[in-house]
Amino acid sequence: MPHRFIEIAALTDAGSVRQFNEDCIEADPELGIAVLADGMGGHRAGEVASRMATRIVFDRLRHRAAGLRSDIAGHAPLQALHESINQANQAVFEASQARPDYRGMGTTLAVTLFYDHRVALGHIGDSRVYRLRDGVLELMTRDDSLLRDEVDAGLISAADAGESHNRSLVTRALGIEQAVRAHLVEDETRPGDVYLLCSDGLNDLVDDADIELIVGGLQANLPLAANHLIQTAKDNGGYDNVSVILAKVEPSVPGARRLPWPLRWLDWLR
Amino acid sequence: MAKLVLSSGGTMLRQCLVDKEVVAIGSDPDNALVVDDPVVDARHASVVPVGNDHILEDLQSGSGTLVNGTKISRHILQHGDVIQLGSFYLRYLNPRAAAEDLERTMLISGLPGLDTARSPGSSDISRVRSARRTNVHLPSGQVRAIAGRRAGQTIALDRVIATFGRPGEQVAVITRRPGGYFITHVEGRRRPRVNGQPIGTEARALEHRDRIEVADEALEFLLD
Repeated sequence: MPHRFIEIAALTDAGSVRQFNEDCIEADPELGIAVLADGMGGHRAGEVASRMATRIVFDRLRHRAAGLRSDIAGHAPLQALHESINQANQAVFEASQARPDYRGMGTTLAVTLFYDHRVALGHIGDSRVYRLRDGVLELMTRDDSLLRDEVDAGLISAADAGESHNRSLVTRALGIEQAVRAHLVEDETRPGDVYLLCSDGLNDLVDDADIELIVGGLQANLPLAANHLIQTAKDNGGYDNVSVILAKVEPSVPGARRLPWPLRWLDWLR
Repeated sequence: MAKLVLSSGGTMLRQCLVDKEVVAIGSDPDNALVVDDPVVDARHASVVPVGNDHILEDLQSGSGTLVNGTKISRHILQHGDVIQLGSFYLRYLNPRAAAEDLERTMLISGLPGLDTARSPGSSDISRVRSARRTNVHLPSGQVRAIAGRRAGQTIALDRVIATFGRPGEQVAVITRRPGGYFITHVEGRRRPRVNGQPIGTEARALEHRDRIEVADEALEFLLD
């Protein structure tokens, strides 16, 4: 069964301070795929890592999504995420070994794959996935970050986290080692849900309450919502690259012509 | 590298580098930083390095530990903070942190013993307020509803956005930015009007006493 119709708005910006954008985004509303990566590494190697990872995960998923069939839906989407992430990890890691200027490069990753009435979520590092449902924004991912560990361990309070200098320290990244363990989870989608993938350039500068207000208030115009999120991060300093992908689960499934052809064809067989 | 500078009565006494080791502070001579004051406990406070941070912790001392005049139990030290212990002052200096040199994403090992393997389902999410404090100056304004269902009411524009109109029919958003307030069309075939003119596709800057019409509402924008 195909996913519900997904509307997507994706936007990335270098921010107000940095010259280069080491974030990378890619999305396909027809196949219900959204991928976001925030690269790290010197000499613009972060750019290489995030682009490489995004491209590989996106291409692999696109390939797989076209072939996903309802009778194997079970864990196939999570499996597809798992495989695509592993493949990207291997490629980035090998590239980092092959060239001295790429040494140590890596990237965070956030990815969603919508199918049926569900979404498979994957993430590594401090890029996040939020869900807005009935006007309430919820964080769906747990940052692989020192700051998050500190709060969980009771070392600092969540309220004090804004005072920390550890905002950019991630505890896990793609491409750093031979293998990587991504966090994978599935969620049941409801019509009207809006999923937000973002790099830390957003949530580091914009409070969750403001993100909720912007996404909730402007969800009727997704590109405008994406634009406002980025604008607010920049107005608040824009110290980092900032990227957002908004994916809205449409309230009703439009006609089959909206579906990508392999799924249309499967639908017709049924 | 950061350092703590100890002074008393305006005289600098000594300084202590803070890097990757815990710095124990107290009156006992075996502390890394000895503060010889009758109200300072033998083991009074400590500075614990975590990542790029140095966290000051009061060890339930009798007279307490003050940072910039406020009593704390635990505090993430900021460049220029002044810690008060009895009649002594400790100034924390960390130029690197002050220079916002820590923005680039770096990999570090997580804290040991945390169950980070659990699935990130929405059920166990506690919110981490990680948005940093910003010192951006924002304007202050409001709208007065002249006509429509809220006629007579004044609505403060104290959040990043405020939407007006009717969802599905015609909606406009007023955005609060450092450079002022702006109005943008959100949805609906008809565009909101400002001073009788429909606005374009771009955000339009609002001026004091501009008259806005959106759906059944007429509003007057007032800049404080």
